[in-house]
Amino acid sequence: MKRQKMYFRMVVASLIRRRSRMLVALLAIAIGATILSGLVTIYYDVPRQMGAQFRGYGANMILLPQEENSMDMAAMEAALTHIPAESVSGAAPYRYETIRVNEQPIIIAGTDLQGAVAASPYWMITGELPSASGQALIGKEVASLLGLSVGASFTASYTPAQAETSENGVTQYQTMPFEVTGVLDTGGSEEQYIFLSSQDVEALTGEEGTLDVVQLSVNGSQQELEAYADAINGAVPQLAARLVKRVTQSETTVLTKLQSLVFLVTAVVLVLTMVCVATTMMAVVTERRKEIGLRKALGASNQSIIMEFMGEGLVLGALGGLLGSVLGFGFAQLVSTRVFNSSIRFQGLLVPITILVSVAVTALACLLPVRSATDIEPALVLKGE
Amino acid sequence: MSLLQLNQVSKIYGDLRALDKVSLSVEKGEWVAIMGPSGSGKSTMMNIIGAMDKPSEGEVLLDGRDISKENAKTLTNIRRDKIGLIFQQFHLVNYLTAVENVMVAQYYHSIPDEKEALNALERVGLRDRAKHLPSQLSGGEQQRVCIARALINYPEVILADEPTGNLDEANEGIVLDIFRQLHREGSTLIVVTHDPEVAEVAQRTIVLEHGRIAREVVNENFVP
Ligand SMILES: Nc1ncnc2c1ncn2[C@@H]1O[C@H](COP(=O)(O)OP(=O)(O)OP(=O)(O)O)[C@@H](O)[C@H]1O
Ligand SMILES: [Mg+2]
Repeated sequence: MKRQKMYFRMVVASLIRRRSRMLVALLAIAIGATILSGLVTIYYDVPRQMGAQFRGYGANMILLPQEENSMDMAAMEAALTHIPAESVSGAAPYRYETIRVNEQPIIIAGTDLQGAVAASPYWMITGELPSASGQALIGKEVASLLGLSVGASFTASYTPAQAETSENGVTQYQTMPFEVTGVLDTGGSEEQYIFLSSQDVEALTGEEGTLDVVQLSVNGSQQELEAYADAINGAVPQLAARLVKRVTQSETTVLTKLQSLVFLVTAVVLVLTMVCVATTMMAVVTERRKEIGLRKALGASNQSIIMEFMGEGLVLGALGGLLGSVLGFGFAQLVSTRVFNSSIRFQGLLVPITILVSVAVTALACLLPVRSATDIEPALVLKGE
Repeated sequence: MSLLQLNQVSKIYGDLRALDKVSLSVEKGEWVAIMGPSGSGKSTMMNIIGAMDKPSEGEVLLDGRDISKENAKTLTNIRRDKIGLIFQQFHLVNYLTAVENVMVAQYYHSIPDEKEALNALERVGLRDRAKHLPSQLSGGEQQRVCIARALINYPEVILADEPTGNLDEANEGIVLDIFRQLHREGSTLIVVTHDPEVAEVAQRTIVLEHGRIAREVVNENFVP
């Protein structure tokens, strides 16, 4: 039989036949590894999670025309090619016009209604989003001003700018009937508008028109957002991309704070795990003083003693790391569903990393106890109990 | 030349001379018993002969080589290569089976060989207990495992400190029979004991008192 085989036989026997003792050490390592891998998962997933949360607060980038009437749908599409499609959680092109309903001047916003809701998830809608031509989403203030509610109808009349005065002194206008499908509640200025599909606005005004603003909700760090904006500004001269600073900056500050908190906790947990493992190993060494003395009396070199205890420690470290990376994912999942209401992605790479780290931490923690094991005198074994 | 020779060996702990200028020589193949009251320095002497401790004064020649001033690492190698140890408290590794305990000594010495380890257990009559843990063995059986382990590397000297101290009559008989067998095969045996019956079967008994050799008795009725 090879020496290595006997070595593994001894290490395995010690771990298996003394399992109640070893379980304590394993538990210490596994708990440390659990919290470690859980926190690291959260650390890397927090930007994504928080990004999704922040996107709830609405647009963080807007596109504005560089000159009067310079921005159209084609320009918006060109701008969007500079942002990765999966990072855009909502894009809403807006065209504003003034119409009259019962002689009241009201602003209408022509937009992609699905995109608008995606860019502003905090919108509260009573009723439905318009899904067909001739349907309108009206702001809450408009609803009370005009006495309209879901299901009611109104007639929009539009006066083209160039036809302001007609030959016979009568104002020319175009009209179109609409049905209210939903009332919008935002707590903001949107409540003063009527939202129509872009196509309906075109039909009502009889002009293709240009966009006044595009609201974008984009996932990414401040740097990434700035890079996107720069790319757009460099490539699409018809429009200018601007970041909504208030949103992007607070996002970045909160993220940085959260990540440094997680980082700090991780460091503390690492140190605590190390202390815990070192204490357990110290107890293991103390408990096995006689055995160490005996092994030395049989001719074991210090190096052999170190190898045997390190072997046990490293196996425990690897097992604890494996256990911890599995439990850690569960822990991160739990935190994620409780705090962020969303599930976490499994990071396969984290398993080997957790195992490596817990092996390294265990090795470090074992260093001192194992060193002290080599100080034990072989003569100890001839002393009576 | 003697296998083992102690010249004016002292071990001093503070004011206490646990061994006081002891001189002794043991020939190859000899069977020596060491007796004496508690605290007379028997274990101290065993530790020094067994290369587990160094004397404060004097020299210890093992196979003609002075081991009294060697460093810890060299002493480890000497223990590994030349000494077989048997203890009163058996000292088996409690999570290893009987045969694994024997193999531990092989492991440190050279290459573990399970077959050879089983043969050693056979010699002490424990072939069928090879897979038992120490906790599943009686005291006598544990001591026999300990003897098998001491024999496995063919040591120059077998040192036994109170090998029968924790055993009943029957097991004491078995252990002494094994010693007789070893002696016939040419092993050198040094046995510390309180028990006159154990001392009587040796060729020669050395009596320690207060760290000195008080007297030496040669066993006229020794049966080889
Ligand atoms: N490490 C030590 N430090 C101080 N004194 C020691 C040490 N080891 C042994 N002694 C002392 O040396 C003396 C001899 O001890 P030793 O163990 O050799 O006795 P012994 O003959 O084996 O006794 P016993 O029959 O009880 O085993 C004792 O008085 C003991 O207290
Ligand atoms: Mg003693």
